[in-house]
Amino acid sequence: MKRYLSHPFWQGAIVVVASYVAFEYVIGYVLPVIGVASAPVPSSVIVEYMLIVLVGVLLYMSADEERWQRFREPIRETMVQPDRRTLRGILMVAFPVLIGWLAYERVKPSYAAPATLRAVHPAPPNQLTFRGETIELTGLENPLREEGSMEEHLAVGKRIYVRNCVPCHGDLLDGQGHYAQAFNPVPADFTSSGNLPQLTESYVFWRIVKGGPGLPREGTPWDSAMPAWETILEQDEIWATILYLYDQTGFPPRTWEEEGEGGHE
Amino acid sequence: MRAPRGTGIVLLALFAAAPHALAGQEDAATAGKVVYDRWCAECHGETGQGDGSAAASMLPRPRDFAQALYQIRTTGSGQIPTDADIRFAIENGLPGTTMPGWPNLTDQEIDDVIVYLKSFSRFFAQGPAPEPLDFGSDPGGGPAAIEAGAAAYLTMLCEECHGLSGRGDGTSAPTLEDWRGLPIRAADLTEAWVFNGGSSVEDMHTRMLTGLDGTPMPSAIDAMNSGVVSPDEVWQLAHYLASFGPREMPPLREVIRVGRAEGGLPADGGEEAWVGVEAFHFPLSGQVVQLPRNFSPTVDGLWVQGLHDGNDVALRVQWNDPSNSPDPNWDEWQNKITAALDLDGAEAIALDSAGAPSVRPPDAVFLQFPFEMPEGTDRPYFLMGDAREPVYLWTWDSETGVGAGRGRGLDSVEPLAEDPVAGEATWEEGRWTLYVRRPIEVESEGLDFVEGTPTPIAFQAWDGSSAEVGKRSSVSTWYYILLEPPASSTVVVTPLLAMLLTGAFGLVLVRRAQDRRRDR
Repeated sequence: MKRYLSHPFWQGAIVVVASYVAFEYVIGYVLPVIGVASAPVPSSVIVEYMLIVLVGVLLYMSADEERWQRFREPIRETMVQPDRRTLRGILMVAFPVLIGWLAYERVKPSYAAPATLRAVHPAPPNQLTFRGETIELTGLENPLREEGSMEEHLAVGKRIYVRNCVPCHGDLLDGQGHYAQAFNPVPADFTSSGNLPQLTESYVFWRIVKGGPGLPREGTPWDSAMPAWETILEQDEIWATILYLYDQTGFPPRTWEEEGEGGHE
Repeated sequence: MRAPRGTGIVLLALFAAAPHALAGQEDAATAGKVVYDRWCAECHGETGQGDGSAAASMLPRPRDFAQALYQIRTTGSGQIPTDADIRFAIENGLPGTTMPGWPNLTDQEIDDVIVYLKSFSRFFAQGPAPEPLDFGSDPGGGPAAIEAGAAAYLTMLCEECHGLSGRGDGTSAPTLEDWRGLPIRAADLTEAWVFNGGSSVEDMHTRMLTGLDGTPMPSAIDAMNSGVVSPDEVWQLAHYLASFGPREMPPLREVIRVGRAEGGLPADGGEEAWVGVEAFHFPLSGQVVQLPRNFSPTVDGLWVQGLHDGNDVALRVQWNDPSNSPDPNWDEWQNKITAALDLDGAEAIALDSAGAPSVRPPDAVFLQFPFEMPEGTDRPYFLMGDAREPVYLWTWDSETGVGAGRGRGLDSVEPLAEDPVAGEATWEEGRWTLYVRRPIEVESEGLDFVEGTPTPIAFQAWDGSSAEVGKRSSVSTWYYILLEPPASSTVVVTPLLAMLLTGAFGLVLVRRAQDRRRDR
């Protein structure tokens, strides 16, 4: 075992295999299991990464003459030694087959959906019109935080949410409503730390008022099943629903002070 | 945390209803009320009568805890459920209804809320629930069991409500009511993933023995006791039901693959010609985006198959709908649906002097495409386009048949009379089969398909007998349809060439290395 670990050829082989496992499986499947946001790496990107790893390994091996000789040794041995004839034969068949398979994977007809890039939180406008009334969004706070009874606002918000939002966003606010599976993109998960706490209440207000049709192009407005709620709800009802969203999930809204000039991602 | 209102009143009520209640139960009920008010009350109502603010848009309605009529039990017909039964419903939800499972609640919170739910009804105060029924043991499945189960299906008159093929289209189906007098569907036994009480053989057997209280679904116990069926036959019936279709909703695949037909396209939607053609399932949702919305749609999914021959493309679309609308047998159902549901501003269909609906809407399905093959990812708005960018539609309804149209929004469809699209639909035992065919490229206005290029496609469906007209429909967002391109020689040649070159290169390398060694 130790003999292998100290040999440059096997070191190189281990690095290459470990890199592949990391790109293909760790990033895509292991990280999400332990709670780190991640997604599978596209195969074209994996090919690029693997090329970089391979070049890196070869560079390192050839940087030192003695190491390079030792690195090449097992390869040369396999090619020339009479007692390695069987292994040589196997490799001479297996390697072309592998290359042929890779080539087939490249040229075979694809039935995958085209990749669509969609901005989940596109940049908001500076102002919007609510049924003809212009509302400045920059610096806008939830007006209900300053007036009336919070308990009543939350009761209104809950009533609006359960009547209107539950079919898609779910009773648990997790985006798993009973219609969620029929929609692509799937409804937003309000229990995710990537949504409400990253957004100001004015941003959430914009997304509710204008819905899918009000998204900029990078938000793929043609795909979103989110209604433009100005056609259904009053402004105060929307603000109350926003209070309910933050209250029920326990997240604080992002505030304008923290945000400075930056704007949203 | 806000102090729950009315805690004192509830405690008083508890004392009145259950004077022997232990102090621990009171604490649990108080804690349960907090959970209930936060998560349950908006549908089930503050007093547990299933009359929360959102209830009117739901069919079936939320459970009325005051009645203590629980569908999902392990106890006998007409009996109250065990705590474990209530817990089962809370943890798993009732698939096919608006009741979700509640993985966000802790075991303690569920225990507490169960105590509180039970406090809504005096029946629980009269003593503990009876023991679960003895369900016996499963004699096992297999072809013989399924055959025996099929016989029991008829012996027990299951087909009167559920239909011969199990799609909820039996002759009694239009008349079914729950205990409130509201219309209720006979379950579509081919869609196990929307069974309220779970879809395993054991689950179905349990539901048959206990019956679904508050619904027309009876318990099989009487039939067993009077010797109509044996206990084993009820198990075999459960195995038969399990043979009706997949247990889980079929996985969503985004691209409908339209293969090249060997030996000509099917001339209609008949089964023989479509055997072995891959079918793709798409779930549909109620149209809940624009007013008036449809919170309780009939069509919850459809299957699509496709073939093409380089000239024409043919699609077969199938979906379950227990009614072949328009059908006067469903008049009463249509009236009851109209009365029971919050129509969200839609005008109810007027009744004539005899109480029959003045309009019997047809069933319909639209297949929707962009008008032109989109550049990049842009495409028209998924709800039948908008004024700026229209969609191209293949339309079918049970009155006017197949046609084409230009959609500029949900209520704006302009027929395209020149379009050569043709087809027909047949209804059999609760299922529509729609066959449409059109040249891949057309001279008239309309989309030209491009072989090998995924084309956006979306779906809309209406069940006329449930008063689904206009915007009250079932919808999907965009998916893709792809016409398989002709077999290309590069698929074979390129890998072969790569293998040959690699092999030759390897041979040369080895030969050179061996030569060098000999030279040394």
